Amino acid sequence: MSSPRTAERLSRILAMLPWVIAHPGSTVDEVCERFNYTRSDLLKDLNLVLVCGLPGYGPGELMDAFIDEDEVVVDAADYFSRPVRLTAAEALMLLAAGMAVLSSGTAPPALDSAVRKLQSVIAPDAESVTVDIGSEPEIAATLRQAASAGRVVTITYTAIGSGETTTRDIEPWTVFSTLGNWYVNGHCRRADSDRVFRVDRIRDLIETTDTFDPPSTSSTPEIRYSPSVDDVTARIALTPAASWVSDYYPVSIVSEGPDGKVIDFSATDPMVTARLLLRLGDHASLVSGSEVSEATDSLRRRIAARYQ
Amino acid sequence: MNRVIERVLNLLAFLLSVERPVTADEIRHTVAGYDQETDEAFRRTFERDKDLLRQLGVPVRMEHTDAWEVEQGYVVAPDEYALDDPGLTDEERTALWIAATMVRLGGQAAGPAAIFKLGGASALAAGEPLTADLGEEGETLASLFSAVSERRRIGFTYKERKRRLAPYGLAHRRGHWYVVGGTADGVRVFRVDRMLDIEPGDTPGAFERPSGFRLRDELPEAPWTVGEDDVVVEIAFDPEVAWWARRQVVAAATVTEGSDGGITVQLPVAQVDAFIGWLISFDDHAEILAPPEIRDRFVKHVVGL
Repeated sequence: MSSPRTAERLSRILAMLPWVIAHPGSTVDEVCERFNYTRSDLLKDLNLVLVCGLPGYGPGELMDAFIDEDEVVVDAADYFSRPVRLTAAEALMLLAAGMAVLSSGTAPPALDSAVRKLQSVIAPDAESVTVDIGSEPEIAATLRQAASAGRVVTITYTAIGSGETTTRDIEPWTVFSTLGNWYVNGHCRRADSDRVFRVDRIRDLIETTDTFDPPSTSSTPEIRYSPSVDDVTARIALTPAASWVSDYYPVSIVSEGPDGKVIDFSATDPMVTARLLLRLGDHASLVSGSEVSEATDSLRRRIAARYQ
Repeated sequence: MNRVIERVLNLLAFLLSVERPVTADEIRHTVAGYDQETDEAFRRTFERDKDLLRQLGVPVRMEHTDAWEVEQGYVVAPDEYALDDPGLTDEERTALWIAATMVRLGGQAAGPAAIFKLGGASALAAGEPLTADLGEEGETLASLFSAVSERRRIGFTYKERKRRLAPYGLAHRRGHWYVVGGTADGVRVFRVDRMLDIEPGDTPGAFERPSGFRLRDELPEAPWTVGEDDVVVEIAFDPEVAWWARRQVVAAATVTEGSDGGITVQLPVAQVDAFIGWLISFDDHAEILAPPEIRDRFVKHVVGL
């Protein structure tokens, strides 16, 4: 294998040459800005192109590539006058990214026409790919504005597992969508630690006049549930009809056979597991886990009481 | 690195200009940079260079060099090589590039290579405070997307069954990727993260999409709206969960405010089991008011009678 840097460099050369050929008179600054070159890297690449060409490799066969005053000149390189087509992965990535942002409702108008033009050349059948991440909720938009202004917000938040509702001041950093839900991460002043909140569980939001300095680097955290020591684990037997549970949730599979699976299911709150058990009905049974057993009985009793 | 790039530029320039299939042997004796001493060293170098070209998206194929089909040679056809120019404006390129840096697929955002191919874009102020993660299955999706665009059939395993599918389209909705396609039993939807052992067929253009096919129409809005025989279910939500229920119900629902801050919702339901699963997430803060048969079914399901 060639190194990724070789591939990146070659790829950029094969993109820059067609542009310069199609836009004679391009300045060094323009080309550098467009293709993210430094002046010296651009010069290095042009010097390399200068010694390449067709068999014979004499002055008549080599390409011309140099900087004249402040102008980038490329000549005798007609075979590189068009850029390489997109790979399937590149095409999908660009289309998916464009469509995702469009569906969130936060896109500039130019993105709509960009996606349509791109689609017409890489997937002429307009219905071959669609991406919908769900429109950005109003609260997410407010959080984004607060994040870019560095303004503290007060949120009323209901936790998913326990159902407990709290009011807290948070310093919002990033609003993001992952696996179908919108989240905000930032610093929670009440817990005095960095936290991730699900936007749809924020009941109310008030912008304060308090400000904060955003961290210099804030990356989007991974929203993958990973079991922790405080979790409540229960052992559950699933019939084949409920075997999707082990695909959907991060569980550990204890045993697997034609009659179904036995899994260990961990959650921060036993009520999460109790809801899952009630939902699965006859297709799941609790093997062990006293806290989950109590939570399930309690939930079943409360719902039954409501329907008396 | 310089020597590799020079050699590959020479190889590509030659293949794009020569207008006929050329054998490895001819390349070795014609193109600058292939003066390796041994056959083995040449073969290794040449293989690596071809891999590099394919990785960049250059279609290198084999063709017979003559009518007697004795020898095979390499071809890069200029019209297969080149991007069809979508004619983007600078503003559109920039919008696309911002979108690409905001969205992750297979754990990463797009590199600049694709946007460079489209003509590049000005460097941007970073720090757009929004990102979206479209899941982990980057490579699987790229191969499925190839199958969709080239109209190749695919074979795969789904829930322990072997399947054959004419993939019509690829869709992401609310956190999951789906393939929609034709099977012997009609149009079906499969979740990509549950498909195993995906194998694309050898023949491009192996099927036609049915006329009037609309990818969006095949996807469910919510799990309990799949199907045709809707029954309207009336549910009362208590004040403490009313805000949460209101955010979750689909547009087709009718919401009535109660005087205590609770709400009553009339919701069209086609998949009763999926609906029951969803309603359990409200614990005892919701109650099915009508129709009685759905109410009974819910009680039976929960209490287990």
